[in-house]
Amino acid sequence: MSTPREGSGSFERRGPVRSPQGVAGGILLLALAALALWLTRDLDQGTLNAMGPAMLPRWLAIGVGLSGLALIAFAFIREGEPLERWSVRGPFFVIAGILAFAVTIRDFSFGPLALPGLGLVAAGPLAILIGGYATPEARLRDLVVLSLSLTPFCMVLFGDLLNLPIPIFPQALAGLFPADWSQKAILRATAAVMAVAAVIVFLLTRGRTSNRVDVADHSGGRI
Amino acid sequence: MGDFVSNLSLGFSVALTLQNVGLAFLGCLVGTLIGVLPGVGPIATIAMLLPITFGLDPTGALIMLAGIYYGAQYGGSTTAILVNIPGEATSVVTALDGHQMARQGRAGVALGMAAIGSFFAGTVATLVIAALGVPLTGLALIFGPTEYFSLMVMGLVFAVVLARGSILKAIAMILVGVLLSTVGLDLETGEERMTFGLPILADGIDFAVLAMGIFGIAEIMRNLDHTETRDVVRQAIGRLLPNRQDFKQSYRPVLRGTLIGAVLGILPGNGAVLGPFAAYTLEKKLAKDPSRFGRGAIEGVAGPESANNAGAQTSFIPLLTLGIPPNAVMALMVGAMTIHGIIPGPQVMTKNPTLFWGMIASMWVGNLMLLIINLPLVGMWVRLLKVPYRLLFPAILMFCCIGIYSINSLPANVMFIAFFGLVGYMLIKFGFEPAPMLLGFVLGKLMEENLRRALIISRGDMTTFLTHPISAGLLVVAAVVLVIALLPSIRKGRDEVFTE
Repeated sequence: MSTPREGSGSFERRGPVRSPQGVAGGILLLALAALALWLTRDLDQGTLNAMGPAMLPRWLAIGVGLSGLALIAFAFIREGEPLERWSVRGPFFVIAGILAFAVTIRDFSFGPLALPGLGLVAAGPLAILIGGYATPEARLRDLVVLSLSLTPFCMVLFGDLLNLPIPIFPQALAGLFPADWSQKAILRATAAVMAVAAVIVFLLTRGRTSNRVDVADHSGGRI
Repeated sequence: MGDFVSNLSLGFSVALTLQNVGLAFLGCLVGTLIGVLPGVGPIATIAMLLPITFGLDPTGALIMLAGIYYGAQYGGSTTAILVNIPGEATSVVTALDGHQMARQGRAGVALGMAAIGSFFAGTVATLVIAALGVPLTGLALIFGPTEYFSLMVMGLVFAVVLARGSILKAIAMILVGVLLSTVGLDLETGEERMTFGLPILADGIDFAVLAMGIFGIAEIMRNLDHTETRDVVRQAIGRLLPNRQDFKQSYRPVLRGTLIGAVLGILPGNGAVLGPFAAYTLEKKLAKDPSRFGRGAIEGVAGPESANNAGAQTSFIPLLTLGIPPNAVMALMVGAMTIHGIIPGPQVMTKNPTLFWGMIASMWVGNLMLLIINLPLVGMWVRLLKVPYRLLFPAILMFCCIGIYSINSLPANVMFIAFFGLVGYMLIKFGFEPAPMLLGFVLGKLMEENLRRALIISRGDMTTFLTHPISAGLLVVAAVVLVIALLPSIRKGRDEVFTE
């Protein structure tokens, strides 16, 4: 995979390049083709009669590479699009939110790093709170209310009504409840607590939002 | 003819049970609910909602999924009309005149006509599927690996021609898609290919994960780049039922749109996408006063919407009869079927007639549901559309995570949607359209399998694809279509159709 840096590099040296987007796209395709060829280097190609595992990937990679070359060639001949502006904030927070969900939903270990499974009760709000900051218009209070209301909804929908095998809460939480409570009962109680918390946060902070501005917000919330 | 009636009545006896009607209703409702959200197309909707069908029996699950699909389609049109943000390629055209109608206070009529046109188109398409099901399944039986391979090549060529933007980029995307499908264990030798040694990649890349990343997450990132200027119509929605004058203007476009959409939908290679564009162009050509188009002409809503729905439904034909998914949505259906232990293809009809005919009959039920659900609920969709995107997208994000996690209970799949989301975002920024890549990926495995088999049968002789008459015919069609698309005069016309 190529990185955005290659793209911006070609953006600066304009001149013979008539379609910077074409050059960037071509480089991306060439990089992909090279990666595929390198990954299949040890595999047997076989013959047409008895195709080996590498035959198709290798020919496809060559095809991808040739398309990349053609794109670059056309970029010098034909007028084309300039490169679009890249934003870092959006993709960064979206990816961070997804990753936070992935590592907390179930017990996770990567090398020396080991995390206990926290279940949807933690993973859901994390995804919303972190992911929510992908836009400069993000407001903490709204995201807190959103996460406290959507998470219990999803817990009841997926865990209770649909019975999907999705971890809902950490085992430690089960210890806080009386021993004879079933998993479903704990789920419902937790969901109810969160929903009530959402309402409380919503009501308590209602007056304050008008004079407290977290992030510059020029639209004035009129959308 | 007797068969046709008895098959359909078998189907309706399955589809009209209380449970299945309820599932069709529920599917349409949640499908519309998610599909209405700006920037969420049918593919992301289905991938997100796939897990909620896991607990059902196979017939019920497929009926519900089909309902979700129609609901998502109609939801996309609703957004196009009310906010001028087309959720996906096929509702781009609806936004042109539909949104203008909405600004003139005729949003209700536009939505009503879209629903009625879709219902009519859906009814016709259901009958077409029922009529063509049996003969096409017969055709599938004379298809060998050679013919299958050539048919899929033809499908991919169509996909290239129908893609927006540069043909070269579309070809590159198809090749990348097929290349991605070869990741994983080799079918015959069991050797790992391009897996980086990751066990999760040994089974290949999961289609739902790829689709969710490319169409769900990347779409969020792209939407975040544009500062939001959503203008939900402030005008009154107006009455929903079109009056006599409206019907008089629209019944011909509905008929023509249905025909165009149904025919194009059958084509392998995402022909359904072209339906609305073709219908719109045709209506504009036939109109006495073409300048009305783009300013709120009801024909510009009725024709494309009918074509859209007819195509959405007839694209089930290649899947149900030949086992070849013609587009990404159908590929998700394949995924859903295999989860329930059904391998799509000609044998479904013979081995599992209640499922096959029940699903076809439920398509009609689903279309009726759309009409029933949407007309009274328009007010709710309008309110939903007023929720700002800064609150919508974190919710979409969490639903995507939960949906993907539930499919296999693997956190790694969740991480992969982040990765493919980034890849999709880069592709969009470099001007590549991701749809052909997804189709290449969908057909890739089947293609390799059939290519290998065909070559084993012919002892490694590549000319086998040209000496088999059916296969040769399909390849000739593919070559002709590609050459025509490359001709300068046609290319100009193609660009016009897509940029309008």
